[in-house]
Formats: sequence, C-alpha cells, structure tokens
Amino acid sequence: MKWLRELTRRLSMVVHRRQFDADLEEEMRLHLELRKQERIESGVTAEDARAAARRRFGNPAVLREKSHTAWGWEWLEELVQDVNYGAWAMLRSPGITLVALLSLALGIGANTAIFSLMDTVMLKSLPVKDPARLVLFGNGLDQGISDGFPNPWLYSYHFYREMQKKNQVFSDVAAAFSMTDRAHGSVEGRNDAEPMNIQLVSGTYFPMLGVEAMIGRALTDEDDRTKGGHPVAVVSHAWWARSLARDPSVLGKKLTIGSTVFTIVGVAPPEFFGTRVGEAADIWIPLSMQKEIPPGWDGYSDNMFESLHLMARMKPGVSMAEANSNANLLFQQILRGFSGAPLTEENLRKLDKTRVELNSMATGFSRLRWEFSEPLKIMMTVVGLVLLIACANIANLLLARSTARARELAVRQALGARRSRLIRQLLTESLVLAFAGGALGIAFASGASHLLVRMVSDGRDALQLNVPIDMRLLLFTLGVTLATAALFGTIPAFRATRLNLTDSLKDGRSQPSASAKGPLAKTLVISQVALSLVLLVAAGLFVRSLMNLTNVDTGFNKENVIRLRVDASSAGYKEDVRLTGIYRQIEERASSLPGVRAASFSIFTFNEGTWNNGIWVQGYLSGHRETSVHHNAVGTGYFAAMGIPLLAGRTFGPQDTATSQQVAVIGETMARTLFPSGSPIGRHYGRGGPQNAGDIEVIGVVEDVKYNSLEEDPQPGDYLPYTQNVRYLNDFEVRHTGDSAVVVAAIRQAIHDVDRTLPISDVMTLHEQVARSTTNQRLVAQLSTFFGLLAVFLSCIGIYGLMSYVVTRRTNEIGIRMALGAERSQVLWLVMRESLWLVALGIAIGVPVALAGNRLVKSMLFGLQASDPVSLLAGVAVLLVVAGLAGYLPARRASLVDPMVSLRYE
Amino acid sequence: MHRDEIPPGTLYLLILKTLARSGEMHGYEIANSIQRISDDVLQVEEGSLYPALQRMLIKGWVTAKWGTTAGNRRARYYELTAAGRKQLALEMSQFERVIGAITRVIEAV
Repeated sequence: MKWLRELTRRLSMVVHRRQFDADLEEEMRLHLELRKQERIESGVTAEDARAAARRRFGNPAVLREKSHTAWGWEWLEELVQDVNYGAWAMLRSPGITLVALLSLALGIGANTAIFSLMDTVMLKSLPVKDPARLVLFGNGLDQGISDGFPNPWLYSYHFYREMQKKNQVFSDVAAAFSMTDRAHGSVEGRNDAEPMNIQLVSGTYFPMLGVEAMIGRALTDEDDRTKGGHPVAVVSHAWWARSLARDPSVLGKKLTIGSTVFTIVGVAPPEFFGTRVGEAADIWIPLSMQKEIPPGWDGYSDNMFESLHLMARMKPGVSMAEANSNANLLFQQILRGFSGAPLTEENLRKLDKTRVELNSMATGFSRLRWEFSEPLKIMMTVVGLVLLIACANIANLLLARSTARARELAVRQALGARRSRLIRQLLTESLVLAFAGGALGIAFASGASHLLVRMVSDGRDALQLNVPIDMRLLLFTLGVTLATAALFGTIPAFRATRLNLTDSLKDGRSQPSASAKGPLAKTLVISQVALSLVLLVAAGLFVRSLMNLTNVDTGFNKENVIRLRVDASSAGYKEDVRLTGIYRQIEERASSLPGVRAASFSIFTFNEGTWNNGIWVQGYLSGHRETSVHHNAVGTGYFAAMGIPLLAGRTFGPQDTATSQQVAVIGETMARTLFPSGSPIGRHYGRGGPQNAGDIEVIGVVEDVKYNSLEEDPQPGDYLPYTQNVRYLNDFEVRHTGDSAVVVAAIRQAIHDVDRTLPISDVMTLHEQVARSTTNQRLVAQLSTFFGLLAVFLSCIGIYGLMSYVVTRRTNEIGIRMALGAERSQVLWLVMRESLWLVALGIAIGVPVALAGNRLVKSMLFGLQASDPVSLLAGVAVLLVVAGLAGYLPARRASLVDPMVSLRYE
Repeated sequence: MHRDEIPPGTLYLLILKTLARSGEMHGYEIANSIQRISDDVLQVEEGSLYPALQRMLIKGWVTAKWGTTAGNRRARYYELTAAGRKQLALEMSQFERVIGAITRVIEAV
C-alpha cells in the first residue's frame, strides 16, 4: 500500500503543477533573501551579500530542474511537448495534413465498415447455445413450396416428424418455414393492421436452439401437436419494443392475423433474430397453425408439401460424417415409405442418386450471404488496397517532412540533444498524425456501416441487420497505420540523426538527401500508381457490367408504372369469387382515374419469385414429356399496364370468365419451343398430367419477359386470367401519365373506396423494382468507382508531393541551368519526364496485375470479359491524364523559377 | 574559513535528524541548523536541500505546510511523519554501522 500512497502523491503533483512550481519558487526566493539579509546584517554591501547568498545556494535553475525530476514526470512533460509540436507541425501545412488525415480516415473507416458488414453477414455465430453443434439440411437457399421428388432442400412436415423420431445422431430436430411471411396483423385494441414478418416454426425450434424467452415462455413441442389448435405466438424483442413500446403486460395480449386470433405467450431475448441472417422475424408461430398463415397453404398433413428448412443439433460426440450418413440413410427410407409418394421408376432412379448435404449452421444461413459474399470480398480487397495506398502517402509525407528537417535535427544534436530524444520526438509527431486519422476513421466507420446496410437493403423489405463496428478489425487497421507512421516516421529520424553533423550543418538545405529520399519514395509512388490502376480497371469493369445490365431488354416497359401490394388475405378475404370481384372493382376504379392508362392485378411483376409447373402439350411429338414453365395469374389490363407487346392473337378480355373455356397467353420462347410448327393460337396444353393436355387454349403470344434477374436467358412462361385461377394476387400495377405522387394518392383512395380495410404496402415504381434486382452490382460499381477514384487521387497527391519536393530540392540546379541558357520548356520537360517515368513504370507493373487480378471477379461481370480492353484503356488513360496533371503543376513551377532568385536561394 | 562537504548519502540523515530535534522548520532554518550544530564544519550546498526535500515528500517522510516566520514572512514548514521517524532510525543504525566499521579499520594497528 506504500507504493499506492506514493503514487497518489506523485499524481497530485501532476494535477497541481502550477501550485508546485510557485511554491518551490517562493521557498527558494525566501531562502536567498534571508541569507542576503543575514550577510547585510554582518556588514557587507547589498551587492556582495546577494552574490554570496547565490554562491552558497548553487544554481537555482539546475536545482529547480532536479526538484522537478524527483517526481518522475519529465517523460510526460516531454510527451506533451512533442504532441503539441506534432499538432502544430500538422497545422503548419494544413493542405497536406488534411489529405493525409482524410485518406487515413477513409482507409481505416472503409475497411472497418466493410469488414463489420462482412462479419455480420458471413462470420458471426448465431446467438444460441453451442451453435457449432447445429446443422442445416441442404443449403437453405431454396425458399417456397415444392412437390418435387426427391427434394433434398425443402422438406414436408411429415418428413420432419419422421426424421425427428427415427434418427440416432441428433439430440433434436427442428423445422422452420422456408419463407418469412409478410402479413398484416392488428394488435388487440388497435384498428389499423400493421405489417409484420411472421416465421412459422416447429415446436422444437426454440428448445433445439437452446433459446429461452426473456419474458413468458418460448414455443414448445406441445404447441405443435394438433392442426389449428395452438393459436399462440412468441414475439421478437425488437417488435415488442417497436410496436408495443415494451409493454410489460405483453403476455396474454391478442394479435389478429387474417381471421385467427393469436395469444402472445412470450418475448424472445434481444439478441435472437431467428436463424436466417438479414431476415429478422417479428413473430414466431407454431407450424400447427399453418393453414391460417400463410393463408391457403396447408401442408401440415400433406406428405409432399415441401416447404420447410430442416435443422438439427448433433448429439455430443457425434461427428459431421456420422450425422451425414445417418441422415442420408433415413432420407431414403422416409421418402420411400411415404403414402402417396410418386415412386415411378424414373423417380426412384433419381432418389438413388440424391444425397442430403448437411451444412454447419453455426453462423445461421442466409440468401444474403450467398448473394453478397462475393461483392463483400471484392470490396474488402478494394478497401484494403486503398488503405495501403493511403499508408504509402503517409509514409511519403513523413519522409519528406523529416528529410526537410535534417538540418534542424543536426543543429539540435550539435547543441547536445540526445539522439533517443530526437527519435522519440519524430515518432510522437508521426503517431499524432496516425491517431488523429484513426479517430476520424472510427467516426467515419460508424457512419459508413449504416450507409452500407442501407445500400445492401436496397432490394428487399428493409434488411434487418444490426452491424456493430468490429473492434478487432478497427484495431488491426489502426495498428497498420500506426506501424506505417512509426516506421516511416522513424526511418528518416534514424538516418537524420546518424548524419555527419558538420556536413549537414554546412549544406544548409540544398544537397543532403536528394538521393536519400530517392529510391524509397519513388518505390512508394510507383506502387501507388500500380495499385490505383488495378482498382481503376476493376471499377471500369463493374461500371460497364452494370451498364450492360441496365440496357438489358426486360420485355416490359418499366417506365411510368407504379406497383404496390394489396394484402387481401390479411383483410379476411378467402380465395373465391368475392376476391376476384374486389380485384375487378379496384382495377375498374383505378383505370377510370385521370392520368391512369391501365391497371391490373397479378401474382408477380419482376424479381418476386416464380410459380413453376410442369405442363403437357396436346399433340406434342416427343411422348408428352413434362416441361416446366413460369406461370403468372393476371387481370385483363396486365399487358397494357406492363407494356408487354402482343405478337399474335389477343390478350384477355371480359369474355374470359370463370366458366368459359380456359385460356392462356404465352411468351415467345414457350411458343417457339413447345409449338414449333405452325401458329400456337388455338392449340392446347394443360397442367397436372398428360390427361389434362387439352384443358387450356392458347389465345395469344407476347414478347418474352425477364422473371427473376436481368442476367437470365429467355425463359418459357405463360399468363393465365385470374378469373380462371383464383388466388391471392399481391401485386397491383398501374401505368400512368403525369405526376406519380398524385396518381399514388388517387389509387390508394380508389382501393379504400372498394374496401377500407385492405392494407396497402410496398409502393414503388416498376423502375425501382427492376433497379433493385441489381443492387448487388450497383453496390460494387459505386463503391469500386468511389474507391478507384480515391486511389487515383491519393496517388496523384503522392506524385505531386514527391515532385514538388524534388523541384524545391533542385531549385538551385534549375537556376544554374537557366542561367546557362536552358529554355523554360526544357526545364518543364526535365521535371515532367521524371514524373511520367514514375507513372509509366507504375502502369507497366499495374497492367499485368490488373489483368491477373480481375480474372477473380469474372463471376461478377455481365456481358464482358475480365480482360475487357475498354476498361483497361480507360483506366490507363484516366491515370495518365490525372497523374500527368499532378506532375505538371510542380514542373510548371520549376519552369517559372527566376534564375537570379534561385541562385540567391541559399 | 574552510568548510567540508558532507559525505554523500548523509543529507537525508542530517535533515531527518534536524527535523526530529526541532519539530517544524523551513528550508533556511534547516540549512542554518545543520551548519550551526556542526560548528560550521558541515556545509551543504544550500540549494540542494530542496530537491532532497522533494524526494522526502514523495517518500512520505515529511509533510509540508505554509506558515509565517518570526519576521512575518510566508515560509513552507516541514515536519517529520511517522514514516520519517522510522526512516531516521533506519538511517541512524546504518550510519553507525558504517562509521563503526570505518573507525575499526583506521584504528587497527
């Protein structure tokens, strides 16, 4: 404890420094004066008395210093001095400092932000008990309902129960509906329905994951026993906070969705978002209630209704390989044992070859990950390179600064400053710069990660990602910059302090290290140029790729169309005539609005999933083989609203009613492949088996459209009138002229005139919807362009800095050359040549690196090769022009040197 | 008048002992006291009292507070603490051991 009290005393001295100094001063003065007084009294003159007092006292300055150092704080005082000096040095050249700080901030910030997002999407473990023991059946990418046989990606409820019962390797098995259902529900005591993401899960879901409710209870297997018998719900912490304002009496509250009233029995813990990254659920409901949600889908007792993702926890000691082999064994057994399984010879052959692939679910699973892992890795590389370039700039800046101070250092050394002290000072100054950049970087990172999530979200219902700043990477990048600063701040310090002092002092500022700065600084600049070329060319590729995508013909006219979502199921409508009746009414009202040219309901527009079925064509030659086509159920105005050109026959009209002949309009590709000879108009095909091949009559052919992505090849597809295919149609499209805001308001009114309770959501233009399908590519194109240009800018600063430095160094020489008759243009060229040489070297290194590196991003490109010459040439051209300019400015300054002034420069 | 430098390392001992004998004192008084009692033989470089007093403050051997002198001037008075007394005892026994040893060496035949 003694040392602690001593430390306290030492610390209080730091705090009361001024007081301390004043006390010591006064004490010493008193001593001197008393001594002088004593002398005077013994009869000496005042003058002699003072001299004698001083003699006996010793040197007050030294004694003050000694008293001070006794407290052991001199290192702190020196540090404060150095930091101050460093800050002032930064402020003396604000331009360079600003650039250095900004490039550091962007480098550190962008790296941290992108890595944080990558960590959240790809690397972070699920917040559940022992996530490493969790496995997923398949890859979790398929979403929807299938009746395919065999299907190792989506499973039926019955399969889940069988697997749970028969396996020997899992401590428990759970299932979750493969999609998050976006429905509208209303909380007890409120009128308005609000949108909510509903996740259907098996009763074993929470127990298997080991997630316990924060309030109330989680769902249990008991909630999943009788079909339709357990209207209970667990809500997410986020939803509880958002929608119920953390109401403590949440348990027992009623929640009405469609026509079912659910009772809230629990609130999930705050960190639990579900098992699909990026698709946070608001409400969890047992699978036993799936007839109610999503409406009309009833797979609880249908063996072939495959809509679930299956997940399981391996028993302790069971390896992945053991789990795999047991799961596969049971997969074969269970499917073969199903009543009603289509065990045709062909299907059995397929089953023999099908294997279930178990994947670790430690980090959850996500479409997001599949979609964005590539772009994120690319961006990570890009920002990593930018950080390198930024560090090179810092290095050059520090090199230049400390070389310019060689003389100052020599003088101080000559006056007796310790070498270690000088090096420490230079180091401190460098670190001040790096820390300031780091602090800005942290501020930038938190802003940037929000921006990134917004950019990534731009394609789905507000992406639910919580992206905290990743401390590990922040520290890493900060470490890299600090190391750079430390290295390049002290290399010259070592060099400068080792200088032959007399040389340095004599030389003044002209000679000493024109060469000393040479090779290192030039290497840095050349690598900067090479790296920025790589980034520029990559940016060029991504931008051109995006342009190609944007110019793809979608088959429909995406301009001047508004589309929105009308959720009739949440308003209590069933799939019957009443439903088609209100659709018809809304279409009629909307069509008659001023400024509206056509309006129609449909299941899909673009990039909203597909509905596929096998079809059989009547009289098709090769043995009636099943062919899969994309269906869409639409209203009569659909083709006009979407602007899909009719090529032959007619589109739907009022004559196509529920009871008339079943009709279809088909796409060009379907017409060409399934009706190769003669006109398809009047021909027949059917769904559900060869016996139905005569059901549907083709009445028209329209141009092909894109279904899910702009990159896809032409797909066969047909359109069916919704009067003959009664289902919920969530999309409503309106082609309009004039101001869209006015039209949207009018449409909302028209819909609510028909039924005030119909929830309307997701209002956007068709153009936006198409653009959202390229979020991925746009994200990469925008970010890579930004960082590519930033890299070029930084390199130019590097070139400019180096050349300005060289020119300053050589002012004397240039003056002599001019005095001896050199032309201004010759001097200009002399300096330009040097910078162009650097750029040319950088490009020469950069081109092969770019060609090799960009092959890695081939999968992200559309409609062009990784070796695309346009992007390459554009990159080289941009770099030459900008870097040329950066070299020109100092060269011009050199050519304007007045020989007389420069010779007197010393 | 010739004055001898004090042996190195004994300054703390002298200050501690002086304070122990006379209670509160300020720097000038300490210097005078040492000089007077040693019959003007021991001469400290008076200023070096102050760094030494600082070190003793850090160690917690003495405390300081401001007071007024007889001549009505502000002065900082130092006073021994319990730790200071303990330290004095320690230094005394060390000193005696060393002096004893030296004496034996030089008086040996």
